[in-house]
Amino acid sequence: MAGRKKGIVQTKNPKTGRYVKIDRDKGRIVSHKSTKGPYKGVPVTRKKK
Amino acid sequence: MILYRPIDGEVLSSPVKYQPSTCFLMTKLGTPVPKDLQRIRKRIASVLKKEKIKIIDANSVVTGRDFLLNIWHSIISVPIGIALLHDEMTNETMSNIFYEVGMMQAYGKEVLIVKTSNVQVPSDFVRTQYIEVNDQLESNIEKYLDGVIKIAEHYTIMADQFENDPLLAIDYLRRSFLISNDKSLREKAKQIFDEAGLEGRAKNSVERYLVNF
Repeated sequence: MAGRKKGIVQTKNPKTGRYVKIDRDKGRIVSHKSTKGPYKGVPVTRKKK
Repeated sequence: MILYRPIDGEVLSSPVKYQPSTCFLMTKLGTPVPKDLQRIRKRIASVLKKEKIKIIDANSVVTGRDFLLNIWHSIISVPIGIALLHDEMTNETMSNIFYEVGMMQAYGKEVLIVKTSNVQVPSDFVRTQYIEVNDQLESNIEKYLDGVIKIAEHYTIMADQFENDPLLAIDYLRRSFLISNDKSLREKAKQIFDEAGLEGRAKNSVERYLVNF
């Protein structure tokens, strides 16, 4: 997808029901989404098997 | 994580005895305890027992040290806190309970307020989940605990994202372990610790205290 940064993922916080964007390369939380639904163009990460 | 003792602001310089699958119950303990409050407490206890979660309260540990310090040690060692509020409680009791609720939240614990309908929750706690005491109390607590399990899974997912921040990854694993009591998370944390080149840290270093959960 255009503009997608490597290492940026998101996951849903079950406590708030909102998505959290994470920069895996920098090892930090980038932002917490204040509205429902995922960030556009950011892959959703899941539990490693 | 650096922990500061609330009685003197000094850094905690001994390991925390973590207590997975436990719940710190914050409520009126000093006599007389209203009979209605005792009944509600028994109802909560029956749900927690069914879910194999042990209840700890301020009277659980008698060590001869400062009472607030005992409460604080309990708070930092458990994953979940339930504040049980009743309209027959005095303002002083409520204040103590909300102080403990605030502390638990600041330490990243999962906190639930259970209250009778007339109790007003202070504005600082409007985002804290609460359940009213009624016929649905037991099923609502069960639903809450189901949600806490999902939070533990979320913490494990978060830990996987922080390869480049190993101490944060270890902290997420610790929080997940406290809820789930999944011992493989301890092993995972130790592996992250060693791979991050931290194995040479002093036995009483902040990093060692973090990973030895």
